[in-house]
Amino acid sequence: MANLKYRLLLIVGLLAVSAWSLFPRNVVERVKRNGVFVYDTVQRVPLKRGLDLQGGMHLELEIDESKQAVADKSEALDRALKVVRQRIDEFGVAEPLVQKAGDNRIIVELPGIDDPERALELVQKSAFLEFQITDKTQALERVIPRFDEIARTAGITAANAKTAGGDTAKSVGVTSLLTQKADSGKDSTGKAVASTTSDSAGAKPADKPVAGGLFASNVQPGQMPGQYFVPEAAFAAIDQALQLPALLDAMPPGKVMRWGVDSIGEPGARAYALYVLDARAIIQGDALTDARPSTDPVEGNVVQFTLNNEGARRFKSETGKHVGDNMAIVLDQRVVTAPVLNSAIGRNGQITLGGGSLQQAQDLALVLRAGALPVPLKVAQYGTIGASLGADSVSKGVLALSLAMGLVVVILIGYYRFAGMLAVGALVLYLVYTMAMLAGFHAVLTLPGLAGFVLSVGIAVDANVLIFERIREELDHGKSVRLAIDEGFRHALSAIVDTSATTILSGMVLYQYGTGPVRGFAVTLVAGLVASLFTAIFVSKTFFLVWLNRSRGVQTLSI
Amino acid sequence: MIRIFHNTTFHFLKHWRTAAIATALFIAAGLVTYATSGGPNYSIEFTGGTLMQVQFKQKPDVAVIRSTLDEGGVSGAEIQQFGTEFDYTIRARDAKQVESQAAGAEGVSKTIEKLLKAKFGDVTVGRTEAVGPKVGSELRSGAIKAMLLASLFTLIYLAIRFDWRFGLAAVLSTSHDILVTMAFIKLLNIEVSLTVVAAILTLLGYSANDTIIIFDRVRENLRKPRKGETLGQILDRSINETLPRSIMTHATTLAATLALLIFAGEVIRPFAWVMAFGVFVATFSSIYVAGPLLMFIESRYPREAGEAQSRAMRAGGTEPTPPTPPTNRPRGGDRLATR
Repeated sequence: MANLKYRLLLIVGLLAVSAWSLFPRNVVERVKRNGVFVYDTVQRVPLKRGLDLQGGMHLELEIDESKQAVADKSEALDRALKVVRQRIDEFGVAEPLVQKAGDNRIIVELPGIDDPERALELVQKSAFLEFQITDKTQALERVIPRFDEIARTAGITAANAKTAGGDTAKSVGVTSLLTQKADSGKDSTGKAVASTTSDSAGAKPADKPVAGGLFASNVQPGQMPGQYFVPEAAFAAIDQALQLPALLDAMPPGKVMRWGVDSIGEPGARAYALYVLDARAIIQGDALTDARPSTDPVEGNVVQFTLNNEGARRFKSETGKHVGDNMAIVLDQRVVTAPVLNSAIGRNGQITLGGGSLQQAQDLALVLRAGALPVPLKVAQYGTIGASLGADSVSKGVLALSLAMGLVVVILIGYYRFAGMLAVGALVLYLVYTMAMLAGFHAVLTLPGLAGFVLSVGIAVDANVLIFERIREELDHGKSVRLAIDEGFRHALSAIVDTSATTILSGMVLYQYGTGPVRGFAVTLVAGLVASLFTAIFVSKTFFLVWLNRSRGVQTLSI
Repeated sequence: MIRIFHNTTFHFLKHWRTAAIATALFIAAGLVTYATSGGPNYSIEFTGGTLMQVQFKQKPDVAVIRSTLDEGGVSGAEIQQFGTEFDYTIRARDAKQVESQAAGAEGVSKTIEKLLKAKFGDVTVGRTEAVGPKVGSELRSGAIKAMLLASLFTLIYLAIRFDWRFGLAAVLSTSHDILVTMAFIKLLNIEVSLTVVAAILTLLGYSANDTIIIFDRVRENLRKPRKGETLGQILDRSINETLPRSIMTHATTLAATLALLIFAGEVIRPFAWVMAFGVFVATFSSIYVAGPLLMFIESRYPREAGEAQSRAMRAGGTEPTPPTPPTNRPRGGDRLATR
C-alpha cells in the first residue's frame, strides 16, 4: 500500500528530525572562568532550563521618572539596554538574557548567579563616561619591576591566581588579599571587583613560578602608545594585582590603568587590552550633548558628537595640546575605543572608525549618549532562586512526570489492551515530538512548564480515548473491524480538533499576557497540543492501518 | 473487553434543579467567605511586596523571627512554615512596605536578610521574590484580561464551529467554572499566584473540552434524531454515549494531577490543587450546567427544524443529507449564527 508507506515515511522522518534536534551537541558558551571570559564548548541536550529550575536571578528594571520626566522613553531605553548589557557581560554569566519589555522596562535574567547584591549594584549604577589621553611616556615600562615585586610580595602569580579558590586560599598572602579585595570593592573607583576566588572551578594546578615576574613576562606593548596586551592566562592574576593598594600607590603619578571592553584573538589564545591613561579626564560625559552615527564619503562610518559650551572650551584647549595622541573613550572605567586626535576639536567632533561597520558606529554613538544622558533605572521586580532549590524542583518535577506517565500507561493498556499498546506507542512518539518542538522554539523549560507537559499528556490520552470509545461504539453497531476503525477515527476527528483548537487559543492568550514561568507553561501546553493532534489523528491511525494490513481479514480487535 | 458505564441510560438532566442548588450553595459559601474575610489571598506577584524562602540551620522560634523583623522595621510580615521545619516563607506586603518598593523593589528583602543573618547566623535564602506596587497591579489586570479574552475566543470559535446557542451555553458554563473555582480557592485559602491563574485558565480549557465533546455528540445526534425525541432526551443520550470516554479521560487526568499534587513539591502544589478540583468541576459543569443551559437557551430562542440540520452539516457533518435552505429568520440572534 503506497499510502501506508508514505505515512510511515513521514512518521519516521519526523522522528529522525526530532531525535536529531534533541541529540546532545556541542554548544559554544561564553563563561567566566577564573575571572576571565572564555569561550567554552560544552555538550548538552539543547533544551534550556528556566531560572526556577537552575537557580539564578531575575530583575525587571524600570526607567525612574520620580525625579525628572524622560522625554523620549524608547530612545532612553535603548541606551540603557546597551549599558546594562555591557555591564552584565562584565559580570560574567553563561547565558544572560537582557531584553526590553514594553516601553519602559528591561528584563534581566542571570542564570546560576550567586551574588545578587553585586549584580544589582552593577546594573543600577549610572553610566560614567570620560575622555582620557593615553600615556605615551612609557610610564608602565618604568614601574614594571616595582609592580612585579609588589605582586610577588602579595603572592600573586599567574599560576596561583587560578587556584586561589582551592587550597592556596589558606596561605596568608591570599587570605589578606581577599580581605583587601572586600574593602576595595567599595572604594571610590567604583570598579567592581571580579570575584576570581569563587569562580575558579576547573582550575589547573600549575605551581611553576613564573620567571621574570608577573608583569614583565605577561604585559606586551600594543599598537598605540599606552596600550598593552595581556594573554588570557595571566588576566586573572594581573586584574587581581591591579586591585592591590600597594600597587595603586606605586602607579606613576597622574596615570591610571584601565582594561579594554573586550578581548582580541582566537578562542584559547585571547589577549586583553590594558591601557595606561592620564588620570585627569579631558572632559566627562555630562559635557556631551549628542552623538550620532553617520557615513562620511571619505572616512567611511563615523560618529559625530556635540559638546556643550563649557565642554567645548576645555576640549578645544586640551585636544590642541594632544594632536596626534590617542584619546581613550572610557565608559564605566573600561576603555571602549581609543581613536587618534587629528586636530583640535571644539564644539563638534567626529570619531573616525577606520573601516568599522555602521553597526559599530551606532553602538559607539549609543555608548557616548549613554554616558552623556544616563537614565536612572529602578528595580520594579526582583527575584532569586537558589541553585539547590532549582535542582530539587527538577528532580521532583521529573519524578511526578514519570509517575504520571507510568499511571497513564497502566490505565491505557489495562483498559484497552492491544489498542492501548498502540496508543502508548503513539504517546512515546508524542513525547519525542513535543520535546523536539520545545528545543526547536528555543523554549525554556520551567516548573509550570513541566506541569503543562503533564497536562498535555492528559489531553493526548483523551484524544486516543475518544477514538477508541468511538471505535467500540461502531463495533457495537455490528460494523466490521476495518470499517469501525475508519468510522471511529472519522467521527472522533471533529471533537478532537474542536477541543484542541479552543485550548490552543487559551494557550496563546496565556502566552501573550503571561510572564516568565507562565509563558513557559503556555509554550509547553501549545507544543503538546499540536503534537497530540498529530499523533492522535495521524500516528495512531497509521498504527491501526499497519495492523490491519498485516492481519488481513481479521474479525476481532482487542480494544 | 473491559467496559465501564457502557450503554447507560441515566437521566442526567432530570436532576438539574438539585445540581443547580448544590452549585449555587457552593458559590454562595465562597461569596460569603469573600464578603467576611476580604478578597482572595493574592500572592505578592499581584499585591506587590516581598516573599523570601529561608532555611534555618536550627529549628527557629516563629515568635523570635517575628520580633526580630518587627524590631528591624519590617513589621506585620507573615511567617509560614514551608515544607520541612527548617524552611520558612516570609511575606512582607503591608501597605507601607509595598509603598517603599516603588523606589526599588529589592530594598525590603535586603533588610530581612540582614536582620535574619544578624539574629540567627547562618541562614540560607532559597528564593526571593520582590515586586513593586505598579507591576503587581499590572499583572492583576493582565490576568483578568487574559481570562476575558480566552472566554471571548472560545465563544467566537464555538459560534463558528457550532452555533451561537452552543457557544453561549459553553461560555456561561465556563463562567460558572470560574466562580466555583474562585470559591474553592477561597475556601481552601489557596494563594492566587500567576501559576494558579495559569491553572484556572487550563481548567477553563479542560472544562470547555468536556463540554465540546458532549456538544459534538449532540450536534451529531441532532442530525439524525430518533423519532419523537426531544432536545432534552438527545442531550441525555449524548451524555450517556460519551460517558465511558469522560470517565476514562478524567481518571487518567486525575491520576496525572495527583502525581503532581503529591510529588512535584510545594511550588506546584497550589496549581495541582486547582487542577484536581478542576477535573471534578469540568465533569460536573459539562453535564449539569452546560446541558440545562443549552436547553434553556433553545427554549427561549428555538431553532427551526431545518436549521439544525444545515448547521450541523456545516459544522463538520459527513452525512450526505441535503441541507434545507434556511427560511427567513426574524431574530437577531439567528442572524449572528449564520455568519
